[in-house]
Amino acid sequence: MQRDLGSLPLAPALRARLVAAGFQTVQELLETGPCGLSKEIGISKEEALEALQVVRQECHGDAARTAGGSGATRKCTALELLEEEQAQGFIITFCSALDNILGGGVQLTKITEICGAPGVGKTQLCMQLAVDVQIPECFGGVAGEAVFIDTEGSFMVDRVVDIATACVQHCQLIAEAHQEEDNLKALETFSLESILSHIYYFRCRDYTELLAQVYLLPDFLSEHSKVRLVVVDGIAFPFRHDFEDLSLRTRLLNGLAQQLIIVANDHKSASHGFRDVQPPAVTQNAEGTEMNPRKRPRREEEK
Amino acid sequence: MAAKKLRRARLSQELCERLSRHQIITCQDFLCLSLLELMKVTGQSYHDVQKLLCKVSRACAPKMQTAYEMKLRKSVNPSSAFLSTTLHSLDKVLHGGVPCGSLTEITSPPGCGKTQFCIMVSVLATLPVSMGGLDGAVIYIDTESAFSAERLIEIAGNRFPTYFDSDEKLYCMTRSVHLYRELTCDSVLKRIMSLEEEIISKKVKLIIIDSVASVVRKEFDTQLQGNLAERSNFLARGASVLKYLAEEFSIPVILTNQITTSLSNGLVIQADLVSPADDLSLSEGASGSGKRESGCVTAALGNTWSHSVNTRLILQYHDLPTRQLLVAKSPVAPFSAFFYTIEKSGLVLQALLPLQLSGLVSSLQSLQPSNTE
Repeated sequence: MQRDLGSLPLAPALRARLVAAGFQTVQELLETGPCGLSKEIGISKEEALEALQVVRQECHGDAARTAGGSGATRKCTALELLEEEQAQGFIITFCSALDNILGGGVQLTKITEICGAPGVGKTQLCMQLAVDVQIPECFGGVAGEAVFIDTEGSFMVDRVVDIATACVQHCQLIAEAHQEEDNLKALETFSLESILSHIYYFRCRDYTELLAQVYLLPDFLSEHSKVRLVVVDGIAFPFRHDFEDLSLRTRLLNGLAQQLIIVANDHKSASHGFRDVQPPAVTQNAEGTEMNPRKRPRREEEK
Repeated sequence: MAAKKLRRARLSQELCERLSRHQIITCQDFLCLSLLELMKVTGQSYHDVQKLLCKVSRACAPKMQTAYEMKLRKSVNPSSAFLSTTLHSLDKVLHGGVPCGSLTEITSPPGCGKTQFCIMVSVLATLPVSMGGLDGAVIYIDTESAFSAERLIEIAGNRFPTYFDSDEKLYCMTRSVHLYRELTCDSVLKRIMSLEEEIISKKVKLIIIDSVASVVRKEFDTQLQGNLAERSNFLARGASVLKYLAEEFSIPVILTNQITTSLSNGLVIQADLVSPADDLSLSEGASGSGKRESGCVTAALGNTWSHSVNTRLILQYHDLPTRQLLVAKSPVAPFSAFFYTIEKSGLVLQALLPLQLSGLVSSLQSLQPSNTE
C-alpha cells in the first residue's frame, strides 16, 4: 500500500501528472477515488477509473505475492526445484551416445544452443529433434509437438519424411520386441502423417519477422498447448548483415533470448537456437572469450 | 515485410502520426524498440503497449504451415521439385537433381568445368518436362565473359541429338537463354534486385550467376580496413534476395565460386569486428609460394557465404583428363564423389567406383591445387 507511484505500469503522461499533483503512494491514489482524481489532475472520469483499476490489479498481485500465493510466483525452494527437474522428461534422440552426453537427452525448460561450421549437420539435428519430441511416452519420449522457426530456408520436408519414417520403424521394432499393450496402442497414433502435422513451420526472412514471431510465440503456445520444442534454425543468420548499429543488434538478440527463456519457463518446452560458428582456427586466435557477443553460446532450454 | 509501414498494420491514424514524429514509420522501427521506449513514445500504459506490440507483430509475422501441408504441396507437383542434371548417379544421390527453391553452389579451382556445368544445365532447363527439364527460360548472369553460345549449341546438339534435330529447335532453345554481362558488384546486385519482374514476364525457370567470387574479389580487398564488413554485407544481401526469388518461384539458383588458400599460421586481420575474421582464407597471394604444405584450400567468400548456400558441389582435378565432383554440403545427400570428364556433350560421369568415406573427408579438407595444371 505504500508502493511508490513511479513503479506502476501507468502511461507516462498520466504518471507525470500524478507526480506533479503531489501524489506519492498507492494508498493516496486509492483513497481519492475516480471523481476526485479526475478533478485534481484534469483527466476524464473514465481515464481516472481505468488508472485506478490498473493500480488495484497491481496491488492485488502484490498482495498475493507477499501472502505466498501460488500462480504467477517464481519463488520456490531448491528441493521443490530438484523434484521438478527430476520429474521432467527429456527429448531423446534414439542415439544413446548423444543422449548420454546430454544427460538423458535434450532438457526441457532450458535453452540449448547448437553451433557448427557450415554443412556439419545442425539443421539435420534440428529436424531430428522436431521428430523425436513427438515420441510417445511409453517409448521414453515426451509426446509433444514442435515449432520450427526457419531463417535460412534449409528445412527440407523430404528429409523430415525420411527421419520420421525411420523413427516410426524404430518404435515398431521396440513394440514387437516387448509386446506391451501400451506400446501397440501408442503406435496407432504415431504415424508419419501425425508427426508431420504436428511440426509447425514458420519461415522468417529477416530479423523483423523473427522478432514479430517471437513476440507472438506465447499466444501461439497457449493455443497449441502440446508444443514441447521450439527450434530457431539460424538465429545468427538474419543479424549477420546490414546491421551498422552493433549495440542495437546486441540488444535485440538479448531481448530475443529473454523472450525465449520466458516462453521456456512458462510453457514447459525446450527451445533450440542455432548459430553459425567460426572454424576452430579463429576461436583459438581470439583473445580469451572476447568474441563477438552474438557468437557466445546461449543455452536456452524450455521446460 | 520489415519495411511495411505501420499504417498498414492497422494502427490508428493519430498513433501513426505520433510515432512518425519520433521517426518510427515502419514495423521494423517499431519492433526494435524496448517496451519502455514504446511506452514513452506512444504515451500508453504497459499492458496497452503489449497489445500494440502483438498487433504489429501479427502484421509482420510469417504464416504458419505444418510440415504435412508442405509435403502435400510438394507431392502434388513432384517433377518440379528438382532439375535433373542427367548425371545419373549424381541425381540419385541428390534425390532428383539440383533442388528447386534453394541455392546451389559450384566451387572449383580455375578450369575444372564450372562454366561448362552451367552451360550444360542451361540447356537442360529449357527442355520440356517430359525430358526432365523445366520448360522455361534461363537467366545467366555472366561476370567473367566466359559464356560461349557456340558451346551451348554444341552441348545441346551432342547431348540430345534426337531432340535437337533441326536448327529451328536449337534457335528456339538459344532464345530462351537470357545473358547479362555484369562487371561490377553494384551492377550484379542491381540486376539481382530487378530479377523479380523478369522472372514473371519471361517465365524463367533457372538463374545462374557465373561467377560470384570473381566480381567480389576484384572489388574488395579484405586486407583493407572496412572492406571485410562491406563484402559480407554485399554477399548477405545478394544471398537473401536470391533465396527469396528461389523460394517464391520454386526455381533453382546456381552460383559459382572460386577456391582460395588459407594459411594456418593465421594472418590476424585488422577487420571491423562485425564478423571477426569471417574469412580467414583471404590470403590468395600465397598460392604458389612455398608455404603450401601449411595451408589448405577452401571455398572462397568466407563463412557467411557458406552458411547462405544450401547445396555445395566441389569440382577438382584428379588424373587428367578425369576430374572429380564432390557433394560437399547438401541437406538430403551424404558425402559422395564422382569422376567425370568434359566432352563435346558437356560433363560425362565416368563409371569408376566412388571413393571411400575417409578418403573423401581428407580430400574435402585439403583440395590441393595440382602442380601440373
